[in-house]
Amino acid sequence: MQILKNSNFRALSKIAGMKPEEVIELVKKSGLSGRGGANFPTGLKLEFTRSSQGEKYVIANADEGEPGTFKDKLILEKNPNNVIEGMIIAGYAIGSSKGYLYLRGEYSYLKNKLQKVINNAKKIADKLKIYFDIEIISGAGAYICGDETAIIESVEGKRGNPRLKPPFPANQGLFNKPTLINNVETLANLPLIILDKSWNNSFRLFSLSGNITKPGVYELESGASLKKLINLGKPKNKIKAVYFGCSGGCLPYEDIALNNEAVKEKGAMLGSCAIIAVDEKHNIVDVATNIAKFFEYESCGKCTPCREGTMRVLELLEKISLKKAANEDLELLEELCRVINETSLCGLGQSSTAHITTALKYFRKEFTDKLK
Amino acid sequence: MSFRDIDEIIKERKDNFLLPMLQAIQAKFGYVSETNAHYLSRKTGIPFSKIYGVITFYEMLYTEKKGKYIIRICNSPSCYLNCSLNLIKFLESSLKIKSGETTKNKKFSLEIVSCIGCCDKAPAMIINNKVYGNLDENKIKKIISGLK
Repeated sequence: MQILKNSNFRALSKIAGMKPEEVIELVKKSGLSGRGGANFPTGLKLEFTRSSQGEKYVIANADEGEPGTFKDKLILEKNPNNVIEGMIIAGYAIGSSKGYLYLRGEYSYLKNKLQKVINNAKKIADKLKIYFDIEIISGAGAYICGDETAIIESVEGKRGNPRLKPPFPANQGLFNKPTLINNVETLANLPLIILDKSWNNSFRLFSLSGNITKPGVYELESGASLKKLINLGKPKNKIKAVYFGCSGGCLPYEDIALNNEAVKEKGAMLGSCAIIAVDEKHNIVDVATNIAKFFEYESCGKCTPCREGTMRVLELLEKISLKKAANEDLELLEELCRVINETSLCGLGQSSTAHITTALKYFRKEFTDKLK
Repeated sequence: MSFRDIDEIIKERKDNFLLPMLQAIQAKFGYVSETNAHYLSRKTGIPFSKIYGVITFYEMLYTEKKGKYIIRICNSPSCYLNCSLNLIKFLESSLKIKSGETTKNKKFSLEIVSCIGCCDKAPAMIINNKVYGNLDENKIKKIISGLK
């Protein structure tokens, strides 16, 4: 795998002889975009944050919480050097001397190992006169803290409620100072971009799980066929649907290209490239109810559409499961999904209903079969 | 009652970061008691209401004493599709508690949690920072009886 090539801090010696602007230019040219799911061009983000004035921070988002996603864990386990080196490179590029690695609570067993990597990196960077401190902040079990503004609130010691944007973190982030927030996979790519001219921007890490016998992280080119990926997972039974995590929605299993455009055209979102395969033995209403429970539980409670909406969505789905719902309930569910999607404050709420909207588009019969 | 441990924790966090301080208090005492939260508030100037709000916001911070072993079993889609519900029922009946409860002897607490990032080992659970994957009833029986 390209992402597991250990750069061993060699990129640090290289950037020590470069101007920060040259580093940013190199990243811009590479075409790297945010691998947490939002795909924002990384070079631009670096540039925006660099152009902001004052003390700045880097935050590595290692709060990988999207169900079905475990690619960042693989990188943190197998190639932590690149993540830490990537943080230092990002800090050098934007002119920051302090970084926080926000590690989700569920991954805290990795903390000691990461601290050793940080200590080692610090020695190497100091010798090159690149001064950058990194501290690990442990999360404490909140899906919402994967949102960039919620992470900031959490590091500041508050409840992880997302902020309104603008202002964007690049202007006003941690302690209201300009802050660069990048996903683990994005950061781990930075040293490779600096070192390797043949670095390939089209590789993506797909976390494959669900009703398959060989789950795992597969590195494929963006646009690879879904069928190829599912076959790598060796399903035991016939696959009926795939879910793109909890927030990306679902599609019937057919051969499509795994890139943002193709998946979006079908009404779903590829996001962080989590693929959860569902076989014929499972009913989509049951899966929908399971996912709705997740959002109802993880809603932070700050805005009404998400706090109240996710609860009512779950109620309606349970009513359908119990065969107590009528057609009006299904209509109400659809309307509610639309309202939550359009009016929620942050990505959690906005995307919390995609799995229902897409399920109703492609598997409507499984819902209507359960109506009284 | 002595608050020396908490004084120490506050001294170590010169930046007054609340989350790490609460985590350190919990690591020491197993939970953040009301008395300790009040003391932390007095010493740092952070309002008690804010401290309480933060503790209750995060799933892994507790306001009451939990069991020696905290079993967090995942019920997100990848685990759910691999029959995690049966395992949750099995754990509830073998420990004779419901999710969210602690056994009378304070040995086990059981929590149903959102994705723990072990979808490649589904169904999975974490007990005090250790991951157990590809679970079935027999495996769980062995794991539980191995915890002293």
